[in-house]
Amino acid sequence: MRKKIIAAVLAVAVLASGLTVQTFAKEEEKTFVYGTTGYSEEMGDAGLNPHDNYSGWSAVRYGVGETLFKYNDNMEVEPWLATDYEFVDDTTVKITLRDGVKFSSDRTMDAQAVKECLDDLIAVHDRAPSDLKIDHIEAEGLILTIYTAEPCPALINYLGDPYGAIIDMEYGIQGEGGSANVAGTGPYIATEVTPAQITLVKNEDYWGGDVKVDKVTVKSFSDGSALTAALQTGDVQGTYGLQYDNYVLFDGNPDYTINSCATSRCFFGQFNFDSEIMQDENVRKAVAMGIDKEGFCSVIMEGRGLPASAAFPDSFSYGNKAVTTVSYDPEGARELLEESGWTDTDGDGYVDKDGEKLTINWLTYPTRLEQPKLAEYAQATLKEIGIDVQVNNTSDHMTYAQEGDFDVYVSSLTTAPTGDPEYFFTSTVTGPKNYGNYQNEEVTELTEKLHQTFDIQERDSLAVELQQKLLDDNAMFFVSHLNMGIVTKSNVTGMAAHPCDYYEITAELDVE
Amino acid sequence: MLKYIVKRLLQLIPVLIGITFLSFAMMRLAGGDAVTYMYENAGTAVSQEVIDEAKKEYGLDQPFLVQYGRWFAGMITGDMGVSYVSDRDVYDTFVEKLPATILLMLSSITLTMLISVPLGIVSAVRHNRWADYLIRFLSFIGNSMPNFFAALVLMYFLSVKLGWLPVITSENLALSLILPTLTLAVSMAAKYTRQVRATVLEELNKDYVAGAMARGVKGSVIIWRNVMKASMLTVITLLALSVGSLLGGTTIVETIFMWDGVGKMAVDAITMRDYPIVQAYVAWMAVIYVLVNLAADIIYHYLDPRVRLAR
Repeated sequence: MRKKIIAAVLAVAVLASGLTVQTFAKEEEKTFVYGTTGYSEEMGDAGLNPHDNYSGWSAVRYGVGETLFKYNDNMEVEPWLATDYEFVDDTTVKITLRDGVKFSSDRTMDAQAVKECLDDLIAVHDRAPSDLKIDHIEAEGLILTIYTAEPCPALINYLGDPYGAIIDMEYGIQGEGGSANVAGTGPYIATEVTPAQITLVKNEDYWGGDVKVDKVTVKSFSDGSALTAALQTGDVQGTYGLQYDNYVLFDGNPDYTINSCATSRCFFGQFNFDSEIMQDENVRKAVAMGIDKEGFCSVIMEGRGLPASAAFPDSFSYGNKAVTTVSYDPEGARELLEESGWTDTDGDGYVDKDGEKLTINWLTYPTRLEQPKLAEYAQATLKEIGIDVQVNNTSDHMTYAQEGDFDVYVSSLTTAPTGDPEYFFTSTVTGPKNYGNYQNEEVTELTEKLHQTFDIQERDSLAVELQQKLLDDNAMFFVSHLNMGIVTKSNVTGMAAHPCDYYEITAELDVE
Repeated sequence: MLKYIVKRLLQLIPVLIGITFLSFAMMRLAGGDAVTYMYENAGTAVSQEVIDEAKKEYGLDQPFLVQYGRWFAGMITGDMGVSYVSDRDVYDTFVEKLPATILLMLSSITLTMLISVPLGIVSAVRHNRWADYLIRFLSFIGNSMPNFFAALVLMYFLSVKLGWLPVITSENLALSLILPTLTLAVSMAAKYTRQVRATVLEELNKDYVAGAMARGVKGSVIIWRNVMKASMLTVITLLALSVGSLLGGTTIVETIFMWDGVGKMAVDAITMRDYPIVQAYVAWMAVIYVLVNLAADIIYHYLDPRVRLAR
């Protein structure tokens, strides 16, 4: 009996010591679980293959891939895997690559490896070929020379787009779609990729220095309430995409850190210049003056939006502060309407002219939750100045927009996804998304000039000039920039929201 | 019986054609398409050429009937197409998500039966006594609570406050299964309890029960051997409907708990206008309902002599 007792005690002691060792081992390993509503097949960014759809966003966001150039807090381009670049002529750029960078496959990153990656990118990606306009690439040692088919001043900016994450094509794409894994150069290596979760381990050979967290798990969430609860229970230590109304639970709470920043995702309206009512500049201006942007951002978006003057947020050198626009002024708006003959003759609260009530058709779509809310908010504030807003909130908005069946079309767009202003003007002002058929020769010429200008400061000035023209012509009105937030437990450091929304898990991430 | 089963299965063919055509048409009428949605979600503007190329790749530039014809021809030859959103094979995607849905269906149905049958019987036997009032009150609350609300309440107490269960699906499948199962069981058990109570009460008032009691048969024997057997018909009808609906997935519960089943997949596909996935889901639902109802009919056949003799 005694022997049995001694044996039992010994067994328990051995087990306990084993557990203790295991516990210490676990304590040494730093782990981080990240919950996000920004990773899913529906978002088009599941998987880590940067050459597929928007999956490059995930490769860069979660520290697997890095691009040749990156954007700083002012959305200016800085070298990353590259160290320098030089435009030899309008169609040739010579890029010097960083020495000593290795892919997680152990291959050394050189110009040949980058060329293979970019060649594949422009062969298979949907957007990259038309952005980059690459004709051919030459590689020699660490010097990469890109020849474009036509002048492409924004080429360096485009190379910072997540689709430009440099991966080892010899290693290839392991798996497909939402399960695709790649060998990148980032601080983390993915060991498991599914459309709902990514498991990452630290890259011991990372060129950028010591990576502090050993294991990171990125979990996809569809429901904002579940994400909030998961942060409260500690199931996740950091979140991206919390619901606006859940921020109050963490704001001012010492156990959590909120890090937020205005992005270039902008909610804005285009006036239809083919609509008889909207051809009256006073009406367009009155609409712009009748929308309470401050109220919308603080009340409806619960502080998760920043009022916009123009297309780009304050952090950009050519952002809001560089332009002037009308502010919320219901009295002034009423006067403008009166000037154009719109007065409330029948006392129904709405202005009218020649027996016709001033009714505007407000087209928008529900994909972004904020847009229907903005429509309702505008409906209320514009009623105060006597304008009747009929909201057409439809998934089929493209058909209505293309047919010009609207007075005001409100949408949202990431106006400067690569930190360069040209994209917004070529796509939305003079390009295929100019649904309001706004025409101004001067604006077209300035946009063309922007397209051909290489000097960054001159490009910035042109962007300011163009925005001012849009505002002076009352061609568009800009309501809000989305404020992107990352909420973490207070013991998590090195995680910050960024204006371009691309960099989330980095080598700086630490859990204390 | 075999002839009857074959006949019912043959009925599936027109049902499938009709329902898939209708859903295909309705998706088109709703407007929008997968390509537009994809770029809209990302918030980037791409050139019309890129959009046109993507639409061409998926055949979205073809007339409606051509698109449907191609899809149907593919389906009957076993090719359900490729998802516009994930680019993955629809059949593989579906099969991958089905086990989670089936597991959740089995667990929630089992828990529902374990709760509702005893409570329903107690409520009927203790008719108009405090136990009956309490059960009816609780079932009233359960019935009136929407799934998403029950999910959030359970999550708040069991995860946030008590820390017993994970908020979303984790590596521990058994633990992860508890919250979604409880959420589904709350409303289903409430509904079933009332149904069981009503049916058992009705049976208890029948002459054969009075006769059995007069002959001195034990109450428990009457309940379990006679009353329950007769009451099972109603329960089976309810079960058939619930199994069908649960096999179609429970979107809200799956979304909240990140339970990777077919319900969430279907709703996401509808939002994204991912037609091949939606069509596969619709076909699956049609097959499920026909098969589950057929199974219920076969069970009736064995349980109820009236059905057997009528045939």
